[in-house]
Amino acid sequence: MRPKLLVSGFLAAAAFAVPAFAAQPQKIFPYPYTQEDLPNGLRLITVPTDYPNIVAAYIVVQAGSRNEVEPGHTGFAHLFEHLMFKGTEKFPAAKYNDTLRRIGAASNAFTNDDYTCFYTTFSKEDLGAVLLMEADRFQNLKYSEPEFKTETLAVLGEYNKNSSSPFRKLQEALFDTAFDRSTYKHTTMGFLKDIQDMPNQYEYSLKFFERYYRPEYTTILVVGDVKTRATREMVDKYWGSWKRGGYKPEIPVEPPQTEPRAGHVDWPTPTLPILTIAFKAPAYDDATRESAALDALADLAFSDNSDLYQKVVVTEQKAAALSGGLSDHVDPSLFQITARVRKLDDLDYVRDRILDAIRGFQDKPVDAARLDTVRKQLRYSMALRMDSSDAIAGVLANYVALRRTPETLNRQFEQYARLTPEDVQNVAARYLVEAGRTIVTLTGPAPVGAATVTRPWRARERFRRRTASGGAR
Amino acid sequence: MKLLIPFLLLAHSASAQLRLVALPGKSPLVTFRIVLTSGSEVDPADKPGLAYLTAMLLANGGTREMTYQQLTAAMFPMAASVSAQVDQEMCTFAGVTHVDNLAEYYKLLRAMLLDPGWREDDFSRVKEDAINNLKVGLRGNNDEELAKEVLYQNIFRDTPYGHYPGGSVTSLEKITLDDVKLFYRAQYSQSNVILGIAGGYPETFPDTMKKDFRKLPEGAGFRPRPKPPSFIESTRVVIVDKDTRSVAYSLGFPLAVTRKHPDYPALLLAASYLGQHRMGGVLYDELREKRGLNYGDYAYIEHFPQGMFLMEPAPNLARRYQIFQLWIRPVEPPTAKFALRLALYELDKLIKGGIPEDAFARTRDFLMKYVNVLTRTKRAELGYAIDSVYYAMPNYNEYLKTALAKLTRDEVNRAIQRNLRASRLVIVAVSKDGEELKRLLAGDDPSSIAYNSPKPAAVMEEDQIAGKWPLHLRPEDIQVVPVRQVFQ
Repeated sequence: MRPKLLVSGFLAAAAFAVPAFAAQPQKIFPYPYTQEDLPNGLRLITVPTDYPNIVAAYIVVQAGSRNEVEPGHTGFAHLFEHLMFKGTEKFPAAKYNDTLRRIGAASNAFTNDDYTCFYTTFSKEDLGAVLLMEADRFQNLKYSEPEFKTETLAVLGEYNKNSSSPFRKLQEALFDTAFDRSTYKHTTMGFLKDIQDMPNQYEYSLKFFERYYRPEYTTILVVGDVKTRATREMVDKYWGSWKRGGYKPEIPVEPPQTEPRAGHVDWPTPTLPILTIAFKAPAYDDATRESAALDALADLAFSDNSDLYQKVVVTEQKAAALSGGLSDHVDPSLFQITARVRKLDDLDYVRDRILDAIRGFQDKPVDAARLDTVRKQLRYSMALRMDSSDAIAGVLANYVALRRTPETLNRQFEQYARLTPEDVQNVAARYLVEAGRTIVTLTGPAPVGAATVTRPWRARERFRRRTASGGAR
Repeated sequence: MKLLIPFLLLAHSASAQLRLVALPGKSPLVTFRIVLTSGSEVDPADKPGLAYLTAMLLANGGTREMTYQQLTAAMFPMAASVSAQVDQEMCTFAGVTHVDNLAEYYKLLRAMLLDPGWREDDFSRVKEDAINNLKVGLRGNNDEELAKEVLYQNIFRDTPYGHYPGGSVTSLEKITLDDVKLFYRAQYSQSNVILGIAGGYPETFPDTMKKDFRKLPEGAGFRPRPKPPSFIESTRVVIVDKDTRSVAYSLGFPLAVTRKHPDYPALLLAASYLGQHRMGGVLYDELREKRGLNYGDYAYIEHFPQGMFLMEPAPNLARRYQIFQLWIRPVEPPTAKFALRLALYELDKLIKGGIPEDAFARTRDFLMKYVNVLTRTKRAELGYAIDSVYYAMPNYNEYLKTALAKLTRDEVNRAIQRNLRASRLVIVAVSKDGEELKRLLAGDDPSSIAYNSPKPAAVMEEDQIAGKWPLHLRPEDIQVVPVRQVFQ
């Protein structure tokens, strides 16, 4: 790390005194930070930034829907995100909320496949108050069974509000079709039948808290107008007595996929047809160049600057939207390409052009200059994302969830810098293969009077029935 | 018929020249917001969506010198883009670049806005996207956004605000590239533009921008003004009938209070007390926390498009007429009528009983600090600063903090009584079995509710009262519209 130098570089940027950011071999994360472990296993990462007055506290718990290993309990990590707002003896929910309101904080939480994150953005003088209240709820959460039951209905309400999006349904169907044993088989919301059964699972919810809301699963990120030492002292004071746990889940390992799969969702209301093509892809890894090469491949093959996008979206206008990529995951996940097609008749055409494009990247290495452009794009894209203290904390939360350190971000970009055209060709050939492929389509009702639509892809691919796509209605 | 509405033409003062807001800073990022102070309200009556299509073509089409493909390729390594937001009185073009790429990015941005390519293939792509935005995006994918937009359109029925900025399917289908060019020539003038820049740009940069944008015609300095919003004589309900799991509501009425109005701080406080997106509040506590009816319930005193995706309304949606709205997130069909009654009962309680003293102090303290969080990014700071220029008012943060510090509970309660009401509303519901919901809403039967867990006596007692809250709806007040007809 080169903290001081980078801070001065940051200031000098305004005066145009530094060489171009993208050309610099400097670390992508421009802020100095400290990373400290408390004896109980809790990790604290403090990042002072140049943005005045505001502080963002992001608390990352490395438990997401990935950790939902027991049948019938999908969606519990997300439910628990809700339950964490139910209060303690010292700060019942009303007092907790009143305190946040009094200090003018913006506060919320989110859950995804790999982690749950609780975040608060507030004025710097309120850091102590926030750390105190957060420490209290992580250690002393208390909710009654009636409160629990009511909250499960709010979760059902969240499922309901999401359910009008065909993309949500498509994701449910895709993950359910592509995976057999991996906990990524279900989305973070969980299977609808499990959500509907949540009111009966009060005891299980207590067990979930016992297991995962523990210091060894938790990292506190404090980013903004802060002092490192004072922050550590407050964290020691409020979080030091939190007891370490001992639970380690056995996350099922997905067996290798041996043949292509397919699925289809009939959507009840008019929509443009949606096509998603997914391939089994490796877990996030920054010790090798594989994850980095898959990210570069996504940009080269499926970004709006790609030949494929320019062909099917801009020139031919057969697709209204196209995107693709692999999001960083703890376990092996999916490299996913999604296209919204303008006409049902063009669904096969767009699918075939996507598959052609993939073959192109498998057959020969990409032009080195294009790879350089992608590297540059990745660096600027990251720089543009970090435009406030809470945005910086949000970026780091994702990397902390993977490897528990901001250094993960730097390592990922070091691997981008090392990539060769052959690396991109190799990952395309290794992972974007037929045996690991799942194609799911979603179409609306046929217009009245229209001829019966044949779906040839159904005949060619093994069609698997999914409970999730049918059970929602 | 919109054409029949007499427009008042307001002459802008001599100061209505090309305006610029510059917020220098030490960030390595430079943020642009270029606002056209003219939007959907000036769409010709037979061409709703023209302002929208024009802005979308500028932001998603090539320039005279570069095709869209070349432009995309030039933007790509900078990870940059230009986005457009279109509302009744403003079209906003926004983008951000790292200071390394400032000259190159600005060159592209300038060409996109001042020297557009007007290619037919770009136009057909953008137009098709606009039509799909209605057919698929609004009607198909998102019941809450659909309810909100139907509400906004309906509240201002028969005024220049009375159409969705994105137009209608039949209108978009007949708009030509020539219409777009004509609109551009008529509206994109110096007197209609506010330039905004923030971040680590060189000192002389704003002058360069001003010089460049003087290439636009000076403009007549006139703008149409909508007549006061339509008076809603009695509550009317629009049920959008579609095959969906749950019932999404948005309801409200026109409000003459904008940011610069003396009642604004008091009403902002009242809305915050009722509750806002992810912030809790009375509606959230009563409907969600105590009763588990849905995911959340909020109140706003400004137009809030894209509410599904944002924590707070975006800047640069300034308007001369605003709305008061309640947003009830999707509820399970059996509790649909009860949820509506309970929300209106709570609103009525606030109007009749006023805000409690402790809640007043707490909410005021919250807003005085929260305004810093609201404007924490350069993007937001710049957007709010541009809005303040448009409204001809001081810096939003300072203005609000000063006003809130002086505000008393009595003033808030008087402002609530002057401006808010729980009757004479437009109520929009997106629901399946629209006729069934209509029958339910038009009846006077009390709404009962069954819970999955024991509730405190106070909640049960209040349910009895709220469950009988009179909606005063007759079948003729309720219109059921098939979703395929909405925005058609």
